[in-house]
Amino acid sequence: MTAMADQQEATTPGTSRERSRAISWALDRAPFLVACLMLVVIVAIYGTLQRDVFSLEEINLDVTATLTLLLAATGQTIVLIRGGIDLSIGGMISFGTVLAATQFGSDPGSVLLWSVIILCIGFAVGALNGLMISVLRLQPFLITLATWSILSGISLIILPTDGGQVPAFWSGFGGAQFLGLASPVWLLVLLMLFWFWFRSTRLGIAIKATGSNEKSAFLSGVSLTRINVVTYGLSGLFAAAAALYLTTQTGAGSPTIGKDYILPSVAAAVIGGVSLFGGRGSLAGTVIGALILTIIGNLVFVLHISSYWQPVASGVILLLAVLASSIAEKAARSDEQ
Amino acid sequence: MDLLEVSGLSKRYGGIHALSGAEFSARIGEVHALLGENGAGKSTLIQILAGAVRHDGGTIKVNGALYAPANPDAAHAAGISAVFQELSLIPDLTVEQNIWFRRETLSPIRTVRRDELRRKTLALFEKYAFPALRPDQEVRRLTLAERQIVEIAKGLASDPAILILDEATSTLPAREAEWLLGLTRRLAAEGKLVIFISHRMAEVRHIADRLTIFRNGTTVGVHEANAVGDDEIVAQMLGRKLDRLYPERVPTATDRIALKVRDFSAGRRVHDAAFDLREGEVLGVGGLQGHGQRELFQALFGATRSRGQVEIWGKPVTISNPRHALIGRDGLALVPEDRRGQGILLTKSVRENLTVSVIRRFSEFGVLSHAREQALVKEMVDFLRIKTSTPEQLAGTVSGGNQQKVIFGKMLLTEARILLLYDPTRGVDVGTKGEIFQLMRDLAAKGYAILFYSSDLPELVHVADRVLVMRNGEIAATLAGVANSEEGILRAAVFEAAA
Repeated sequence: MTAMADQQEATTPGTSRERSRAISWALDRAPFLVACLMLVVIVAIYGTLQRDVFSLEEINLDVTATLTLLLAATGQTIVLIRGGIDLSIGGMISFGTVLAATQFGSDPGSVLLWSVIILCIGFAVGALNGLMISVLRLQPFLITLATWSILSGISLIILPTDGGQVPAFWSGFGGAQFLGLASPVWLLVLLMLFWFWFRSTRLGIAIKATGSNEKSAFLSGVSLTRINVVTYGLSGLFAAAAALYLTTQTGAGSPTIGKDYILPSVAAAVIGGVSLFGGRGSLAGTVIGALILTIIGNLVFVLHISSYWQPVASGVILLLAVLASSIAEKAARSDEQ
Repeated sequence: MDLLEVSGLSKRYGGIHALSGAEFSARIGEVHALLGENGAGKSTLIQILAGAVRHDGGTIKVNGALYAPANPDAAHAAGISAVFQELSLIPDLTVEQNIWFRRETLSPIRTVRRDELRRKTLALFEKYAFPALRPDQEVRRLTLAERQIVEIAKGLASDPAILILDEATSTLPAREAEWLLGLTRRLAAEGKLVIFISHRMAEVRHIADRLTIFRNGTTVGVHEANAVGDDEIVAQMLGRKLDRLYPERVPTATDRIALKVRDFSAGRRVHDAAFDLREGEVLGVGGLQGHGQRELFQALFGATRSRGQVEIWGKPVTISNPRHALIGRDGLALVPEDRRGQGILLTKSVRENLTVSVIRRFSEFGVLSHAREQALVKEMVDFLRIKTSTPEQLAGTVSGGNQQKVIFGKMLLTEARILLLYDPTRGVDVGTKGEIFQLMRDLAAKGYAILFYSSDLPELVHVADRVLVMRNGEIAATLAGVANSEEGILRAAVFEAAA
């Protein structure tokens, strides 16, 4: 190999070597870069149609609107990097809002207690998903489809129609500001800090490794059961957090609202460059993906066209993103020696 | 007392005894070679020692204490580290992340310290004079040989008392293989026990102090390396005498050109290749590793893009996709480099692997005919002497040599008469090697045309009719007759002026 390397050194001048390194750097991140580009284009179009798009207020509004999806998509991102998928977040989000709207009462102590309980239930349900996937050796798709259905059913039993209520201070959360930024923006900052910490922990690396190559990870001593329990547990936890945040926005519980977040959570991650085959992706990409999906909604609104165009536009964006990443993948492969 | 003592070890997979009453013992400071055909039980022993699988019966003692690791971590704790033949690296992690995976130094907030990762990696590379590698490169960008080196680094990272090298030299180019042999001796001199597995007899003779021979899951011989002859070793491995490794080479090439290639370029690695492969010919492809041989094979098979003219049996063709290449008697079939990655589906049965590319041959009006499928599978299993309890056995549970035979069977069932064999004997035991060479010559005699790459020079010299030597992506020389010698190939591979 040293012989080969020497030879490459001799035949390729340093500059072109540098350039090829830069190209492979860009190719590796192509899906993410394409997502950023799409966001810029969409924001630019939005900016020409609407006044005051480039303001703190707009950022506050967009992040506030995106955060439920983003929280759900954070859990989904972790699961996708593991090489799995979690459909049960739909059930968990519904279940979480229903519990909050029926159990919170008006006492802050009870609100706090039930928030913690809901988060714990989220983690426990996810952990159970992970355990079943490992022990029963079934597809994550099937297991989480089943838990989604079960949780949806329980939600409907507790609260058959949208309703219930949460205290006023709870619904006021999104309106609170600090240093000109709304509280959801600060939550987003916290979320990113969490991610930058999490991805360099041993657990974060082990989840990525397991998604990249399960057998190698096992041979290196990773316990697949433990990884599945924690991965899906985190996904459930973030779904519960999404549910709690959602109730601050809607002020009520809904036994059916969760299904609206299942596929968008996957779409946001994939648009942001997370690989469905595991091992690759980052929350930064998912944030971009979630923002794109939200601003597409704004765009449809300011264009005064039927809101049915929103899913059409989201679908086109998703196609473009998938196309971009597959082209990048092919280019990267032919670039490899 | 020996450092490692294995006695009466047994392991069953379904109805097959991978190990039955195996004995093995080795001491501190020695290089102990473990020999045997594929399927003799070597891999199983290693996997048990490394904690990847658990044994059914018998005992293992390390330093006199009973040892039965429940998982790979337990093996590490006991000071045993294995460099696996099927690599255990994570493609999406970097070189340094892989080497220290799960043993990283942590910061106060429990994150991995990258500076420490880099420092320890460079220190390890320097201590053992590793070939140049970038620590921050992702493993999926590395060649097979580079990955093997990272795997070795990973095995050494925990500073084990017992290091197991399973076929570690088989993917390495000559210079790096030499380095590894030197390293092995050095580790033994430092007081480690190195268990060394290789099918290259010369290497084994060169570095082993003692050797243990396995056959059919049991120990059939333990020898001081300098007190036993090659013939005796091979006879014990096979349970019979091997007449000769290389079959007699009777020229069977006709004038008919099976594959005509002109001005053929692929990516940045193959430039203006031109050659003719004739009916009944075995055409070797040689040269130093990484000079475009792999890309040539992949491009001819349609797995990567190419430019230039290709004629198959006289007809100009464009192969831009492996599906084009596969079709029918006028097609091409490939035995790929990375058996486990590309050639075989480990979790499917031997039968399914054999017939996966030719499903349509058993279907009439879209309905599968199982009788026809089973007849053909049986024929192929018998013809190639694939060792399997039933054709329904999972391919992942048969030995490496048998997996390679399955790939050959899959290729032959496509009925293609132009065969592209990329290093078909890598990691294959000496008995199966002989069978593969004989098979190649038999196929050539039947009119097949075979393009054959090997990283082993003697194979090219003894099996191929002519040899194309590649250098920097070009065909530097075509050697035939007396010019086709190990020296001739090396000379053409290394020197600009040779032709």
